Amino acid sequence: MTEQSQTPSVGIVGGGPWGRALATAARRTGAAVVLHSRRDQPESDPGLHVTVDYAEVAKARLVVIAVPSSVARNVLRALGDHLGGQHLVVHGVRGLGAEELETVSDLVREETPARRLGALGGPVQAGELIEGRPSAMVIGSRFPEVITAVTRAFQSPSLRVYGTNDLRGLEWASALVGCLSIGVGYAEEAGAGPGLLAALISRGVDEAARLMAAAGCEERTMFGLGGYGDLLASIALEDRPEVVLGKALARKVPLDQAITMAKLRVEAIPLIPRIARFAEEHRVTAGTFRALSDILAGGRPQAMLDRMFAG
Amino acid sequence: MQDDAPIFGFNAAREDIVRTVISRVVLSTKDPLLALNDAAYHETKRLEATKRGPEEQKELAEWQRLARALGRMDDGERRQKLVEVVDHIGWDVAGNFDPRVFKVSSKLLPPIVTYLLAPRTLVRLARDPRHLVSLSALDDKVRVEGPVEELRELSRQGTAVYVPTHLSNMDSIVFGYALERAGLPPATYGAGKNLFTNPVLSFFMHNLGAYRVDRRVRHNLYKDVLKTYSCVLLERGYHSLFFPGGTRSRSGGVERRLKLGLMGTAIEAYARTLLANRERRVYFVPATINYLITLEAETLIADFLAEAGKGRFIIEDDESSRLGRVTAFMRKMFDMQGAVVIRFGKPIDPFGNVVDERCRSFDRRGREVDPASYVKDESGRVTLDPVRDAQYTRELGDEICKAYLRDTVVLETHVVAAASFERLRRASPAGDLFTVLRQRDVVVVPRDELAKDVVKLRDRLVELADRGEIVVGGFLRTASGGDIVERALRAFAGYHASPVLASRPDGIAIVDTNLLFYYQNRLAAHGMAWDVIAPPGVPPARPPVFTKPGAQEAAQGGLS
Repeated sequence: MTEQSQTPSVGIVGGGPWGRALATAARRTGAAVVLHSRRDQPESDPGLHVTVDYAEVAKARLVVIAVPSSVARNVLRALGDHLGGQHLVVHGVRGLGAEELETVSDLVREETPARRLGALGGPVQAGELIEGRPSAMVIGSRFPEVITAVTRAFQSPSLRVYGTNDLRGLEWASALVGCLSIGVGYAEEAGAGPGLLAALISRGVDEAARLMAAAGCEERTMFGLGGYGDLLASIALEDRPEVVLGKALARKVPLDQAITMAKLRVEAIPLIPRIARFAEEHRVTAGTFRALSDILAGGRPQAMLDRMFAG
Repeated sequence: MQDDAPIFGFNAAREDIVRTVISRVVLSTKDPLLALNDAAYHETKRLEATKRGPEEQKELAEWQRLARALGRMDDGERRQKLVEVVDHIGWDVAGNFDPRVFKVSSKLLPPIVTYLLAPRTLVRLARDPRHLVSLSALDDKVRVEGPVEELRELSRQGTAVYVPTHLSNMDSIVFGYALERAGLPPATYGAGKNLFTNPVLSFFMHNLGAYRVDRRVRHNLYKDVLKTYSCVLLERGYHSLFFPGGTRSRSGGVERRLKLGLMGTAIEAYARTLLANRERRVYFVPATINYLITLEAETLIADFLAEAGKGRFIIEDDESSRLGRVTAFMRKMFDMQGAVVIRFGKPIDPFGNVVDERCRSFDRRGREVDPASYVKDESGRVTLDPVRDAQYTRELGDEICKAYLRDTVVLETHVVAAASFERLRRASPAGDLFTVLRQRDVVVVPRDELAKDVVKLRDRLVELADRGEIVVGGFLRTASGGDIVERALRAFAGYHASPVLASRPDGIAIVDTNLLFYYQNRLAAHGMAWDVIAPPGVPPARPPVFTKPGAQEAAQGGLS
């Protein structure tokens, strides 16, 4: 049997950099991969089958969603026609719904019949996966078999996969890290020294953990690889959209232009004021998120500092 | 009633069922030493702490002897002992089911009522069940709502697991009555053993459930037997009734946290029917049992407040064991229209999908799903996987809690209690719960003001109901504020020992703050009453968002 006619073991939905990177990482372990992509993909690897047909993706039992959060619901609804209870559905989508704060796995639950769900998180970057540079990734799922399947599909000498059963916590942590990255980019550009930056990061992470507890997640997930780890990796990258956006804002670039500069869609923008409101509703002290919310609304840096260290 | 329901063949199958349970538990016990040690430890501790008659004394001595001897036994002896112990538990749990009496007791309410109103007829009744009071006499007192037609059809297609809310020891009887009135086959029920020792209820309980549960016994072997027993019953198509709240709600609130142990057996049972190549689907029916007044309200709320959560697990001496109180309760029930409302919710499969009357599962987008696909592994084989099933069941528990909210039926006592309690809170704005509760007979609200508050609250509840988030019955929907208050006063007055609300010349006096707290708690999880009863780890409910002008403002002013 040739590799191509084999039943794929991993299906990946999303032909952008993140989807391609995940496909590459799965190929590295020898898995037969089917990639759903609307864009043309260089098809040189016989073990990687590219398709525009969701039914093809659904031939794999493990399906990984790697599309922008803005289109996640539509993609899932279309994909859901081909899924059943046997599928393990995992997503690598950062973000929470800006209205109801629903997680992406909540969307999967609503739009598909699949129940064995998971999310990817942690510090790993698309570039590292493509080039095979060592990094670490987190899979969150309440189902041990999902953690096992993801580990088997992605773990290689250059990628360590860690498992957690706090799925919701991992999804919240990823989303909140997106918000905090904007703040760090902003502070760096505005000339914050190492002490202030450290205070911002530590306080931000601590607030995020408390917000997560209020949302029914485990606090410690924020302090681990999926929270702190992810944040450290994010702010180390110059071209990270959230960081670019934060820096632009610090240079007093108006929000709409700053978004254009960040190129990619920044999921955290509508989320930040919503998180600030969530904090208020649940009586969680979250000065950092309130300050970030002010920046997006055009607040001045000094006012922001005051807010951050108030209360 | 469907006389072909499996339960009527129960006695013939009982021996076989119990033997299956015993052998399954024995085989799945990997370490007999550990299991027996655990059992001996917990039983010794329990028996030492209780008042012992000669029976218990003997039992205690046996466990102590076993604990001493275990260390010296070899593996064969331990296994032998394990078989003995499991055998004993198995037969103890299997109770006694007599289909002849069952047919009588599934029409339970009338005989109870007959007995309570004219005790001597019971003797005649026991001799000849045809002397039953006509059930239709209760039709407008006890209302049964929900998709009854669909459930009737469904009960022929699959195995039902009824999971109602739990407020009172009357629940199992009332629910049995609801099944009967809805034309649904009876269900097996793991009744608490304390209900069998309750002098008033025991007569009726003995033949209602096919098995009994002694919640004082805490060791794992006992729990294994219970779960296995429940699983085997479901596997064989016996419809079952669980109260997933575990115990009666102490606060009066709707359950927001469920005990998932017994519910979890449904998936294993279903998977086993697949493995045996005779698929029989299992479906859950959430239901709410709503009382205008609760039989044991005083004891339950006192227990909630005394321990604030660490309540006595089993209450053996409450109103349900006092004949006078049960009589008063029944009289009250007969006196008021719609005093009890049982509402069946939409059936769902063990994986949270909705189920149609042919027992087909559909996901939230209306696509048909094969439930078997959820219990298959990567090679497509059906597997038994307790860890996996525990996760499914956890999510199912969340779905059931949501159904409880949607199907809560608001009654007049709840609304009037919530409105009065809000007045109490306003009288002591910064006070904690106990400060508020201490204001017994302090606050008097002019009648028309209370009526106005009640109408405001009712209008908001109606908006919620129109969105499908709660149920508001006909009377409450259309009655004037004054009439609603009157009806609540009448419901409280004939039953509760001391006045709850007292009618005074200058208005309505708020007297029994504990009971008002109890009744207002029914609306707490909806964010429509003060929510200080959220279980640990569950954030307190906040007032819902209203769209109608004025309603939002009312919610903020009244329920912040």
